[in-house]
Amino acid sequence: MAKRLAAFLSNLARLRRGESRLGLLLFGYFFSITAPFTIVKSIRDASYLEDLGARSLPYAYATALLIGGVVALHARLQARLPRRALLAGTLGFYLLTALGFELLFENLDFDWLSLAYWFWANTFIVVLTTQFWILVNDLFNPREAKRLIGFFGSGGILGGIAGGVLTGLLSRTSETSQRLLFLVAAFLVVGFGFVRALFAQIRARESAASSPSGGREAATPAGRNVGFGDCFRSVRRSDYLKLLGAAVLVAGIVSTFIDWQSKAIIAESGQTNLTAFFGFFNAGLQGFAFLFQLVLTSRFIERFGIGPSFMIYPLLLLLGFGGIAAAPASLAGAMLLKGGDKALSYSIQQSSRELLYIPVPPEAKYRAKIFIDMFLNRMAKVGGAVVLFVILGLLAPAGGAMTGIIPVVSAVAAAFIAVWLVLGVRISRAYVREVKDNLAQKWERGDAQIARALDPEAARLVVDALESRRESPELFALHLYALAREDKLTPEIASLLSVSDFGAGRTPGLPFLDGEEMPWIPAFEKPAGGLDLDKEIREILALGDYQALMSGYADRVLEGGEGADETAKMELAKSIGFMDSSSPLVERLGDLLRDPSPRVFHYAAESAGALGLKAFVPLLLNGLGDPRTAGDAGAALGRFGTAISGTLADVLLDAAETPAVRSAAALLLGRTGSPEGVKVLWAALEAGGEAAGDDVLDALDDLRTRPSSPALPEAAVLGRIEAWLDRAAGAVSASGLLPVFKLLGLAYDHEDIFRAYQNLVLGTKDSTAYALELLDQIVAPGIKEKLFRRIERLGECGED
Amino acid sequence: MNIKKRMKDGIVIFDIEGELKRSDIIDVTLHQLVKDELDAGNKYILLNFDKVPFIDSFGVGEILASYISTHNLGGKLKLARISKKLFLIFQVTMLTKVLDIFDEEESALASFLKG
Repeated sequence: MAKRLAAFLSNLARLRRGESRLGLLLFGYFFSITAPFTIVKSIRDASYLEDLGARSLPYAYATALLIGGVVALHARLQARLPRRALLAGTLGFYLLTALGFELLFENLDFDWLSLAYWFWANTFIVVLTTQFWILVNDLFNPREAKRLIGFFGSGGILGGIAGGVLTGLLSRTSETSQRLLFLVAAFLVVGFGFVRALFAQIRARESAASSPSGGREAATPAGRNVGFGDCFRSVRRSDYLKLLGAAVLVAGIVSTFIDWQSKAIIAESGQTNLTAFFGFFNAGLQGFAFLFQLVLTSRFIERFGIGPSFMIYPLLLLLGFGGIAAAPASLAGAMLLKGGDKALSYSIQQSSRELLYIPVPPEAKYRAKIFIDMFLNRMAKVGGAVVLFVILGLLAPAGGAMTGIIPVVSAVAAAFIAVWLVLGVRISRAYVREVKDNLAQKWERGDAQIARALDPEAARLVVDALESRRESPELFALHLYALAREDKLTPEIASLLSVSDFGAGRTPGLPFLDGEEMPWIPAFEKPAGGLDLDKEIREILALGDYQALMSGYADRVLEGGEGADETAKMELAKSIGFMDSSSPLVERLGDLLRDPSPRVFHYAAESAGALGLKAFVPLLLNGLGDPRTAGDAGAALGRFGTAISGTLADVLLDAAETPAVRSAAALLLGRTGSPEGVKVLWAALEAGGEAAGDDVLDALDDLRTRPSSPALPEAAVLGRIEAWLDRAAGAVSASGLLPVFKLLGLAYDHEDIFRAYQNLVLGTKDSTAYALELLDQIVAPGIKEKLFRRIERLGECGED
Repeated sequence: MNIKKRMKDGIVIFDIEGELKRSDIIDVTLHQLVKDELDAGNKYILLNFDKVPFIDSFGVGEILASYISTHNLGGKLKLARISKKLFLIFQVTMLTKVLDIFDEEESALASFLKG
């Protein structure tokens, strides 16, 4: 029975194996600090209204000015003390001061004691709640937090319900209402117990972990002197944190308006036992918040994302303000607005706000939470108080019903909500950027590395030149000329290649080449002034007589006449590449491209690519089908660029072509990057691409690595992904998901997608979580569930 | 040219014999063999050039294509026991800036584990 209950709770709370104990302890701890706060708060509101009235509320709000001192003191303590000592010490402090106030309320008849109590009550919730959420942020990564935050928050809400109900029940008699602060102390003692158990569990978890949690530490690193100034500067340095701070400030001001409006209406409604009223009221709104938190918050956030979750709260408040402006004296309206405010604030708003901190680095997070949650959140009350002072001073200077001013406050609140919504949109975008910053590139693409480090074409030319030394001096000379013409004859290459005297098989200065037999190579002298013979050679090649003479030679070579051999054909093919495209000799290139020797094809293809004559394209395409010539044919075709996109498209779509040729055509189309080519590639992929196989996807993927490459239609891409996921049965490895990520890269930012992929394949648990978080933010909702289910099963494959 | 495959410590080793030239390819190229290993999930590949006296530009292209395919998948491709002549060529053509080249097979294998 207990196991089934545990299983049910785990399912409801979305706890996974290994998380139950820690999750339940955090739930319990949060319960034990929010229950007493609800009691404290109910006493706070009731005693203030009874002693000082709604008109004096702005003075209470203004006590937030003193929060800065509390924040600064807390920051110092947080830097010096281990976290366990800090939490336990804080609980002890509030326990003793609660008992102190109990004594003062019993023995001192002083109205302004309520103001001092108001201040104390506010520090109570600020300090204890902030400490709790800092702990949660440190223990869980974004995916875990998103899944569990609803559960933890429920602990707080349940505590609020319990505290509220107890307050309401115990306040019915004057004797028990005076003992409520003892009940607060009792809850804080329970809190001690949870703190002790929590840190025992954290220690056990850390000793079992194989790698450091990377900032998820059980204790605040001691020795860091974090002053309030450090906290402020941390926020000021980050645009993201400034946005968060601004949103929290605006939200706090709006909340102050709501608080004043509701209390003003309640105070004028004729309620007699305000402590009991606030007790039951707080319990009721917490009940709604609890249900929302436990059942909907996490699911809402996972379904719609952090951005919409952050903005649903102000949007609903806007409606509430409209309602109360229309019916300013309505107690029900006031309760609905205040209840809605707190319910949403404690549930979805708190949860989404905590999630927004997760991509912030740990050090900055500590400081930011101190400044924003503890200081700025409270300063918002001051801001609200100032605005209220102005409104009250202008519209009700000499007393009178407060309800007449409510529509004005509603209008002012609406203006602040508009600002809040704009901030929400900016925060959503900034959140994605922050998540991306947590994803380091794990490896660089091989083609990018090569492009950065060397010139592959020059490398091939040098190697060919070296090989040609074994063939003929003419071929070698042609290579030297080619290198010089391309301006690739660097001093290092020249010293490797140029020699002053070959002699009979000896190569002075290059001892490792000794042993090669080259007796037939004549002595070669490097011309004075270098190899800058380009102008002279071009003129010779253009001479009519030269063309006529060489045409006769070419005919003999191709007909197999005297001197016709493979080397001669190679020389001829190489030399044609230097001629003008209108030269009669160029026609001979077709025969050379049909030659069965792959070495002859190599030089012929090189020249065909250099000349760029489309007439040779069919012969080059034929070369794609032979593995010995495919590379040369592809390189030559690549030089035609978009001019042959149509031809390549025809080849790709021609079912009669061999798979090797169609694959090569696909890759070439990807390299050209023409819009027509992209269309054809996509059509081939859509058609199933079984002949071209993965190469069509590779070609599109390669295309997307270029900066200006446009994205493909999202809907079509997602359709293909869905089909792929449906087809792939069983667990898939991270590498097995590569086609899915290539498809995602077609529709979304390629670098983002591949950074996420790399972190999934090679990352730690945390970087995997950030990768998923990034995908969660950028991929359309329709595909996320299927995709994430596969990704979250990666551990079953035991790979990578 | 002949290419033989063996495995050691989870690393695929291709022992290449003969000159890596276009005219010597019979049925399957080096790049295709590497791609087959990558498809099978083997991402650490060592090319043993102990018995390769020379390569032509086709051979260079095969090495570069194999390198690109391997590294794009997050794997590693390294070379071992190339001749001094080939090493000098690789130096002059800046290929040593990208390719990891080792004198001995053992040091090459150990480098895969270091990361």
